[in-house]
Amino acid sequence: MFTEVPGPAAVSSKTLVVGPDGLAPERPAGGRRARAARRLVPYLYVLPAVILLLVWTYWPLVQTAGLSFQDWNLIPTKPKVFVGVAKYAKVLSLPELHQALTNTVLYIVAFLGISVALPLAFALLSRKVQGKARTFYQALIFVPFLVTPVATSAVWRWLFAPEGGTIPAIAATLGMPLGNVFRDPDSSMMSVIVIVGWQMLGFGVLVVSAGLAGISPDYAAAASIDGANQRQITWRIVLPLLSPSLVFLALMTILLSAQWTYPIIDLVTQGGPGNSSTNIYYLLYQFGFRNFDAGLSSAAGMLFFVGFGLVALVFVELSEKLSFHDN
Amino acid sequence: MAFVLTRPAAHTRPAAHTHPAAHTAAAQVGVAREADDVVAPSQHRLASRSRVKVISAAPAHVLLAVLALVSIYPVYWMFVTAFRPAGDALSTNPLPGPVSLENFLTVWQQIPIGSMLASTFGMALTLAAAQLVVAVLASYGFARWSFRGKKVLYLLFVGSWLVPFQVTMIPNYLLVSQLGLLNTVAGVVLPQLCSAFAVMMLRQHLESFPKELLDAAQMDGRSSWQTLWQVVVPNLRPALAALAIMLFISAWNEYLWPSLIMQKSTALIQIGIRAFLGAEGNNWGAIMAASTIACLPIFLIYIFLQRYVVDAFVRSGLK
Repeated sequence: MFTEVPGPAAVSSKTLVVGPDGLAPERPAGGRRARAARRLVPYLYVLPAVILLLVWTYWPLVQTAGLSFQDWNLIPTKPKVFVGVAKYAKVLSLPELHQALTNTVLYIVAFLGISVALPLAFALLSRKVQGKARTFYQALIFVPFLVTPVATSAVWRWLFAPEGGTIPAIAATLGMPLGNVFRDPDSSMMSVIVIVGWQMLGFGVLVVSAGLAGISPDYAAAASIDGANQRQITWRIVLPLLSPSLVFLALMTILLSAQWTYPIIDLVTQGGPGNSSTNIYYLLYQFGFRNFDAGLSSAAGMLFFVGFGLVALVFVELSEKLSFHDN
Repeated sequence: MAFVLTRPAAHTRPAAHTHPAAHTAAAQVGVAREADDVVAPSQHRLASRSRVKVISAAPAHVLLAVLALVSIYPVYWMFVTAFRPAGDALSTNPLPGPVSLENFLTVWQQIPIGSMLASTFGMALTLAAAQLVVAVLASYGFARWSFRGKKVLYLLFVGSWLVPFQVTMIPNYLLVSQLGLLNTVAGVVLPQLCSAFAVMMLRQHLESFPKELLDAAQMDGRSSWQTLWQVVVPNLRPALAALAIMLFISAWNEYLWPSLIMQKSTALIQIGIRAFLGAEGNNWGAIMAASTIACLPIFLIYIFLQRYVVDAFVRSGLK
């Protein structure tokens, strides 16, 4: 529908755009200088955003790459010492890193279930509810996503509180006494998953439902006339058409679940006890702002940046291949 | 957290050409089905059929109701605990009451919650407005002209999605500290001024903007700058409103960067309440009251502008 306006490379072609009255709508501005100025116009619009990106994202990325080869404790007066790949060697040998990496993968697997698979099941099973009732349910389901991180952590600490908390009380009546889940290495990670999952589930349900609503019912109607049953319609028509939404949700989960969990880890467990609930981003924070080891934090950061970049590339390729488009 | 969520992936592009159509189709389907449900019972012949429909939808209703209950219960319990008398915090009565503002009074006396709300509100409003202006300019530049280097420049925005904030936080922190902005709201706002997500989302909207309007504006002798503010922006108002609300909510809920920059200041509510939580330990009534206050502005926005909020966040995940 949209065709791009001829660019500055072809400014003179604008004269070919003829107005309704058969006249050229605009005279081409005179001299070379005016033309050069006009060629600059698009850059002027884009410039503020580009400069901000360069200053606050890309140049810092270069600086992080530089810091990863240096030993420095973040104190401006202290010299930075070049140490080659020593920081990379160190970070790869640290047991904390292995633990954080394992945890991150576990978090990702858990959130693939909670924010992709479960929402898909819920959305497919609840398709029959439409109209006002659906709007009402969805309005409630989306609320957790909006709760601010400090409040989320406070509310769940209260719900899990050994004294007076709702969840231990319910667990006790069911004959499964709960201790302090955040202080127990066996349950701390689970508790973070429950809290963040509570926030993400509703978001996933809404995204999948919106994707489902975008699929024309004509396809299903046509297929059922051809004798397809409900199961076949779901597997052969609905799911392939939904796959762009699902692939995107999965990619977001993989790339961002470490970000989603960060505030809750920081506010509820601080990665503990004994790193049992930490993840890679929390580890970066600890290396940088607790141990003041800029080199170590940067080296680990670069490794994750490259690793996640590769995962994203694979996914983008995959989504190009898997996605079916409804037109 | 919301902030990181809302950056769409590189592969927005393949789907881009379906975007406006798909969206309205979704809305229409919703409306059509709703109309079905409304009309069917009104016609006598169909009454029994619609009853069958209701019964067959019952398991789906139960499922959604359970999901809604799980989603809302923690928030409900936060309100209930906050509005109880301080002595009743451990009450297991699931119903609200007796109502008391005692906990809120405690919060009011312990921390400058009013000024925290005001400065967080100012921060989020400034940040959202600035992000919106920067994004409007950039997306207009990208959507209206083609120019040398456009692809590369646009890739910068798409690619920024792959640079996690934690990887660049040390250099960013150092720069903010060199500028003398540690522990200031300006230090929180400045590094986030460019929202790559907002640029990409607005560009999608602008690419489906009727080109005839732009041409007409040009024929009227409007400069590109006048066209932007007099023609494009007024026509994009719903999209801009949804985006602005989302940026505001994201700014309000942002945690990581304020927690690094504001280590010695409690001006922002996220950090101020974190300190309060640490100090109050098990005083759950007061803690829930403080949490309620921290959520209140977002909940008010959600109650009054629900359609925009859901639309913006969900669409960010759709594409």
